[in-house]
Amino acid sequence: MEMEGGMSSLETAMKASSSMASGTARNADPDQQTIRSNSVEQFYFPRPGQSLPGIPSFFGPPSSSLYLPNDNEAKVGNQFEPNPSQNTDWDPQAIVSNLTFLEQKIKQVKDIVQAMSNRENQVAGGSCELAAKQQLITADLTSIIIQLITTAGSLLPSMKNPLLSSNPAVRQLSNTLGSPMGFGVNTDQRPSIDSKTDGPDTGKASGYEELINSLNTTQDERDELIKCPNPCGGEGSEPTPMEDHDVKESDDGDHEGENLPPGSYVVLQLEKEEILAPHTHFCLICGKGFKRDANLRMHMRGHGDEYKTAAALAKPTKDSGSEHAPVTRYSCPFVGCKRNKEHKKFQPLKTILCVKNHYKRSHCDKSYTCSRCNTKKFSVIADLKTHEKHCGRDKWLCSCGTNFSRKDKLFGHVALFQGHTPALPMDDVKVSEASEQPQGSEPMACFPCSSSDGISNLDMKMADDARGYYSPLSFDPCFGALDDFTRPGFDISEDPFSFLPSGSCSYGQQN
Amino acid sequence: MSREGQKLDGAGGGAGIGVLSLDLLGQVLDRLREPRDRKACRLVSRAFERAEAAHRRALRVLRREPLPRLLRAFQALERLDLSACASLDDASLAAAVAGAGGGLAGLRRVCLARASGVGWRGLEALVAACPRLEAVDLSHCIGAGDREAAALAAATGLRELRFDKCLAVTDMGLAKVAVGCPRLEKLSVKWCREISDIGIDLLAKKCPELRSLDISYLQVGNESLRSISTLEKLEELAMVGCSCIDDEGLELLSKGSNSLQHHWQHNFLMLTFDLFETLIPSKKLLLFQSVDVSRCDHVSYQGLASLIDGRNFLKKLHAADCLHVSWSPQHYLLCTLISSFFCTYNAKCPIFYVTNKMEIGQRFLSKLATLKETLTVLKLDGLEVSDSLLQAIGEGCNNLVEIGLSKCSGVTDEGISSLVARCSDLRAIDLTCCNLITNNALDSIADNCKMLARLRLESCSLINEKGLKHIATCCPNLKEIDLTDCGVNDAALEHLAKCTELRILKLGLCSSISDKGIAFISSNCGKLVELDLYRCNSITDDGLAALANGCKKIKLLNLCYCNKITDSGLGHLGSLEELTNLELRCLVRITCIGISSIAIGCKSLIELDLKRCYSVDDAGLGVLARNAFNLRQLTISYCQVTGLGLCHLLSSLRCLQDIKMVHLSWVSIEGFEMALRAACGRLKKLKMLTGLKTVLSPELLQMLQACGCRIRWVNKPLVYKED
Repeated sequence: MEMEGGMSSLETAMKASSSMASGTARNADPDQQTIRSNSVEQFYFPRPGQSLPGIPSFFGPPSSSLYLPNDNEAKVGNQFEPNPSQNTDWDPQAIVSNLTFLEQKIKQVKDIVQAMSNRENQVAGGSCELAAKQQLITADLTSIIIQLITTAGSLLPSMKNPLLSSNPAVRQLSNTLGSPMGFGVNTDQRPSIDSKTDGPDTGKASGYEELINSLNTTQDERDELIKCPNPCGGEGSEPTPMEDHDVKESDDGDHEGENLPPGSYVVLQLEKEEILAPHTHFCLICGKGFKRDANLRMHMRGHGDEYKTAAALAKPTKDSGSEHAPVTRYSCPFVGCKRNKEHKKFQPLKTILCVKNHYKRSHCDKSYTCSRCNTKKFSVIADLKTHEKHCGRDKWLCSCGTNFSRKDKLFGHVALFQGHTPALPMDDVKVSEASEQPQGSEPMACFPCSSSDGISNLDMKMADDARGYYSPLSFDPCFGALDDFTRPGFDISEDPFSFLPSGSCSYGQQN
Repeated sequence: MSREGQKLDGAGGGAGIGVLSLDLLGQVLDRLREPRDRKACRLVSRAFERAEAAHRRALRVLRREPLPRLLRAFQALERLDLSACASLDDASLAAAVAGAGGGLAGLRRVCLARASGVGWRGLEALVAACPRLEAVDLSHCIGAGDREAAALAAATGLRELRFDKCLAVTDMGLAKVAVGCPRLEKLSVKWCREISDIGIDLLAKKCPELRSLDISYLQVGNESLRSISTLEKLEELAMVGCSCIDDEGLELLSKGSNSLQHHWQHNFLMLTFDLFETLIPSKKLLLFQSVDVSRCDHVSYQGLASLIDGRNFLKKLHAADCLHVSWSPQHYLLCTLISSFFCTYNAKCPIFYVTNKMEIGQRFLSKLATLKETLTVLKLDGLEVSDSLLQAIGEGCNNLVEIGLSKCSGVTDEGISSLVARCSDLRAIDLTCCNLITNNALDSIADNCKMLARLRLESCSLINEKGLKHIATCCPNLKEIDLTDCGVNDAALEHLAKCTELRILKLGLCSSISDKGIAFISSNCGKLVELDLYRCNSITDDGLAALANGCKKIKLLNLCYCNKITDSGLGHLGSLEELTNLELRCLVRITCIGISSIAIGCKSLIELDLKRCYSVDDAGLGVLARNAFNLRQLTISYCQVTGLGLCHLLSSLRCLQDIKMVHLSWVSIEGFEMALRAACGRLKKLKMLTGLKTVLSPELLQMLQACGCRIRWVNKPLVYKED
């Protein structure tokens, strides 16, 4: 995940640069994709970033006239890299020359692509050749982008203009390239890859490699694509629906709010076995399964040095062309389920994770039992864990005996069912009873209201007051009329005189 | 009435009455208004007693002890008021109810307001014994909570319920009631601060019959209004001081009403709003008949305007104390809308309150004219008014019956005369603190308002006997006049004595009034009920003698600081049997002798103020203790009483609920302790020095609190008086 962080800034930098390149890269994207779709079968295809800079491609003779990535990079690198002081200066001439170079290069790429499309119209076959061409174009575009970035990067130190720096793309750029050395920072973040990469350009500009890696990761996505069976075939030349499924989804499958019109998305249906399979990523060499693609990539390192390159290890990123691809939604394989595409009111699931959770929750046994209450069962272990956090804390009780952890849930329940009523917590009663018990059991030692005889029981310690005001005589008349209160049919366990003070006898202590 | 009874006796003898059927006797009793007359009948004849036992529908019990007997005796009771029943607690209530047998089968309404000693056990017993219970008032039982609510929820037929200031009632209690009493029509949960939106929501779902709901001062928000808007039969909704409700909520309310328009149109009679900033103008055709926006801290004219807009048949608009309203363009809007409202719907609008801190502008004047004949009550308390405004009101609102200009600055003679010139129907004029007015204003009032019944002139110090003479001669219907701090003299009273209908006379701070003046009043105003002689310190015992001789009906008498009064004066007052409230503050000469004549003579005495009557001692309290059985409120601060007297007093007075005893420097801590223990179960309010808080035993204080007593601690140093 650390890597991800490191990469994301690069990705955005790339996007920024591609947008700066007046849409060249973007224009090239669909074609790129088209070609890529042909290489579906190839699981671990050598990546351009790793094969192209030094090793000549074995797929076909590259047209040397236009394919000179090394030279270009060297040129650029030479121009900017070794001389940090130059970096900080605004050199219009250098930029102009760079731009002219870029222009030429873009034109070349365009030509190739056009030629390819013409040929495609005539012959459908020759996938090998096409793949090679595609590699070439990818590499070319990569170098163009790098060129652009470096050109733009040279401007960075002079960009103290708040207007520019407020542009997020520029800020990203400056994050990536803004260090005095231009490219020092990111390499530090991935030292392992840096040390492992060997190539002519390693010494020159390790930052380039980063960029290339990040570019190449787009290709990893194809690997992802393989793992979800594609009903659209992906064989033909039409763009393949793609989506990055490795991106973490909010784990719930409830996306009913989105309301896509039917037909605006492609429906995929995974098989039950696939859904329930513990592993989704399998090693093609030994067949070992993994839950995560990253783990698989780490595993692949054991199968040979070719899997140890930075490119092979890089995380597949979201395809920049995915926005053009139709939206993909998923169908539950359980026929009759509302989430099944045969259902009249079919509601698709948004991601594979949603499919998994939905299938387990709705069509599987609930095999996980809460260890605390031993009643609640779950089919998704995450649900169990969520429940266990709150289990035993239900304090809102209904008269029907149902517990609720939240008051509003209880009230919703009460509102729904006739005759149900919230039950008051029983400890309340106990407390009030306990507090009244001592009053009831209190002896009627002191005077008020008990009976006229009570006067004799008066605590006469009071009389030792200097004024000696405590004459029982003066009390007599008032007590004569006292309580004629009888208890006809009195069936309450409490003492009627519970109003008597609890500490009636404690006068002496007060003195 | 007692005379009538004697007549009957004289005609046919005791047996004669017995011939009449119980039904007829019951009819006779029904027509007796005064309880003491009924009592007289009861005492005169057994037949009446039987008739009363069979016919009596309502009962108000003042003491706990006779409660079981009374419930047994009156088998046809429908209404039982226990709000003043001293020291009522769970056990006694349960016992009384159980003892009544089937006598409570017909009981429909029970008032237990302020009966803070009654808890859920008592209520459970009550509910179990009264199958037809329809209304319970539990307001101001501060200790009442969910358990009490749950006990009441067992009364399934309950239609009305008041929980005002039952501070411990939460959503749970409300839910209990909502589920248990589905036929609830009126509910007040004012001040039950624990109740939240969830509770209100459930209430709205479970009690569809609700017609009146008071959620004032709750912390509920707009969601509650959303729930409330689903109540189709709601006619009355009060939400004073609901600071969490804003425009959005009101919009929800009106939206809800929109969908239920037909049900609401004829039902929504009254809406009390507090604090709404701007109500989105809604065009719903609701029939608000009364709108009270008093104490709306942030109410603006748009709010009022949109409220008024679209609501025809508004009967009352009360906008008192709208603090944040000032003279602004919105004001114009209000006026326009009010007037357009009145013009458009031509509704009958008898009352219009615009009170406090609103400035009246010219626009308002011009618009008031459009109200014309509809307005009958106009209260402009605390406003800045001008002659022209008053004139406009006078010209515009010819049918005014009541005008309130209390504390308005800028009220002059000219203004008043132009106001009253065309408002001949005025019956009540409030000119409190309009200190610019003189006799001229009174003259014009007297000339124009022949029907005048109430005139308040407090602090109008420029008026004198000449003006009052005119009033007295021209307004024979005068029933109430307030001349507090007007500096009037005996001559003025001589003129006022012509008003034989006078019921309320306030002469506070008029120190030049002497016995002579009182004599004039007492010789003619036999119907006087309330007399305020606060600080009329020229009055002596002779004045009181005349008063007691002439005004037998007096119920409220204020003699504070009339320090020439002695025991013999109080001796005369002893003949006022109907006296209920007596204030004798700072009458330093009165002693236990005077107190005894009052205590023995004034049997109805409920409230007595003896603060700073330094000569009153234990003996005085002793007489009170033996005689003033109905005494409910007593102030004995600064009196020279000891612990003994206090104990005696508090242990004997069964109705005493509220006692203020600050600075009783002769009473020892033990004295307080014992006295309070003696009165523990029945005290509801207590005022004492803070110093006692720490020295009184904690269990006593706990006990007091448990019995529902609120103690107000006065933070003053204890004064030891050397005597």
